[in-house]
Amino acid sequence: MVSNLAVAILNGVVWGLIMALIALGLNLIFGLLHIINMAHGALYMLGAVVAWYVIELTGNFWLALAVAPLVVGAIGLVLERGLLRTIEDKPLVTIICTFGIMLVLQQLVLTYFGGTARRIALPITARFPLFDLQYPVMRIAIAAISLGLMAGLWFFLNRTRYGLWMRGVVQDREMAVALGVPVDKVYMWTFVLGSFLAAFSGVLAAPIVSVDFMMGREILIMAFIIVIVGGMGNLEGSVITAVVISLIHGVGSVFVVPSTATIFSLGFMILVLLLRPQGLFGG
Amino acid sequence: MKNMKKDRKNQGGMGKEISRREFIKTAAVGTAGLTLGSLSFSPFVFGAEKPIRIGMIQEYTVGATAYGYWLGKVSKAAVAKLNAEGGIAGRKVELVDYDTKVNPAWASSMFKKLILEDKVDFVMGSVHSGVQLAVFPLATQYKMPYFGGGAMAASLTGKDAVPYYARIHTHAKMQAAAGWKWGFDNLGRNWTFLVADYAWGHSLAEEFGSRIKEAGGKAQTILAPQNTSDFVPYLQKVDPESKVLFTAFLGAPALGVMRQTVELGLHKRLQRYTVICCTDGVGQEMVGKESAGAHYLSYYPRHASQVPKELQAYDKAYRTACGMTDDGKDAGDPKNTSTASHMWTMWTTPYMIKQAVEQSGWKDEKKNADFMKAFCSLKVKAGPWAPQGDLVMRDSDHQGFHDHYLEEVQPDLNLKVIARIPKEKLMYEAPVDLRSKL
Repeated sequence: MVSNLAVAILNGVVWGLIMALIALGLNLIFGLLHIINMAHGALYMLGAVVAWYVIELTGNFWLALAVAPLVVGAIGLVLERGLLRTIEDKPLVTIICTFGIMLVLQQLVLTYFGGTARRIALPITARFPLFDLQYPVMRIAIAAISLGLMAGLWFFLNRTRYGLWMRGVVQDREMAVALGVPVDKVYMWTFVLGSFLAAFSGVLAAPIVSVDFMMGREILIMAFIIVIVGGMGNLEGSVITAVVISLIHGVGSVFVVPSTATIFSLGFMILVLLLRPQGLFGG
Repeated sequence: MKNMKKDRKNQGGMGKEISRREFIKTAAVGTAGLTLGSLSFSPFVFGAEKPIRIGMIQEYTVGATAYGYWLGKVSKAAVAKLNAEGGIAGRKVELVDYDTKVNPAWASSMFKKLILEDKVDFVMGSVHSGVQLAVFPLATQYKMPYFGGGAMAASLTGKDAVPYYARIHTHAKMQAAAGWKWGFDNLGRNWTFLVADYAWGHSLAEEFGSRIKEAGGKAQTILAPQNTSDFVPYLQKVDPESKVLFTAFLGAPALGVMRQTVELGLHKRLQRYTVICCTDGVGQEMVGKESAGAHYLSYYPRHASQVPKELQAYDKAYRTACGMTDDGKDAGDPKNTSTASHMWTMWTTPYMIKQAVEQSGWKDEKKNADFMKAFCSLKVKAGPWAPQGDLVMRDSDHQGFHDHYLEEVQPDLNLKVIARIPKEKLMYEAPVDLRSKL
């Protein structure tokens, strides 16, 4: 029991941090642009697919981790400038548009990458003993990288001029315009950053979950749950909620059938929405 | 007059002059030549009976797409071969196919479209048991002969069987009969089943598990959603006394669970054994070198070198026609692994349709019942249309029987056949009798 609990807690935190990274990008785009980005899961998947190609060419996972998010960020730039810019103030239209983008990206990947799941080898193969199991060091590394990126994002938002502009636009768009903040560019770079984060988490998760054109679908649902429970637009809320939900599922799995433990995490979401409709940490 | 004649001539594009008479003569000769040419190359005569249309539903998008890709490809190759050999009863064969989107409701609407709009004569396809179950009421309502192509829930030819459905290939119950004893004797007595939480996974855990328990072994079952990404919460529940880990998922989760088993070091203390459905379309190189030593129950050897000697000539021709290499890859994309154990069903089914049409004297839907009786009584001998070997249909439950194989992953990641299980050993008492319902 103790060993199972220890594994569940460790794995819950690790998986929660990966989920947090995915949810952060989604929440960033919603918080600033008020776009419910249905294509976020597809951008996550695209990050993994681009990484797979980079690794095929170079054999270097770390290079893929650097290149794939930049490529997907560039795709995000094209999407924002080409499609979303003109409809950014129409939330319903953006949902339909991003849903369309999701379908197009999925089918493009299916056509050119194929429908078969592909593997990205673990760049760190070491394991350490954890009671009855051997726990992979790579998962700890992924959690550490996620934490590092989150810290970088916090620094960017709170200690740089661009971050200040972004926070300013969230608080009062008109005032930001009046004060000379380039709101149009802030919107653009926010979407690019959101796409970058989605792709980055896709590359990090790929060695664990394998690369597949549908890999973003299920993740997207969980990311939305995290954003809603944590508070839409609240980035710290997303991180804490991701870890809490993942822990509830992991620890719950020790006591009941893991499928049933999903009910606990969904029950937690329902409870939060009933008692605090604005989310745990407010929107 | 000379000028008038000259006027009637048209100036050719390259300066060559051509008269109207010359043009008509050339065109007539050309047309006649083309017509004769087409007659001599096509086995079908203008004005012959209308083509026979075979409808098909496959998983082309959303999920199980490796199956959709290969089963679709093989069907098209089979229909091309049929037409090249004169069609069915002298009639050309046409294939009309739709995507199921792995969505039973959508698949039902496509099945209905095939019947009502495309006016197909027969339908085949789909590897998804849920999709097949969903279209059963339509097959029954329209008396439409329907042939499965890889769905493995035992109930499709058991408690859920319908008269206008037939399955020429294996299913979970037959797989358990074929594979449990070898696993029990050679791998261990205590098993953990980590399977997808739907009919197929339940069916495998139940069929294998009940036999293990009856023989005095232990069977633990862990159910996980088919779309699981992180298997650690499930793998950590594996009984420490277990010796065999049997996993059953499709597509990316199948690869995920195999890899995470290795990631957690469980492959060192557990024997890995499952049905090939979990890794058909997935190359062992995707799992990694640690997949060496795993065992699969298969229904067609992936590698040509492992095909029984007496079938190798048929296998070679079949692989060439389907674009599958000797090591089970796509001839056009060496990273794409075939679904060898499933896709032969779409090669043999069109041929069996031909046999049943010609034996029953079928002309149109009025004789569908006679056609089904003929189809479900077929005994197909190994040959160009049956590279998997002899296949016997049973008319009571419309179930087919064929040989199975036990394959072991070698250190070079190739699959080596270590045993062949003859179909005679897999016969079981028919759970239903459909003969009086046609």
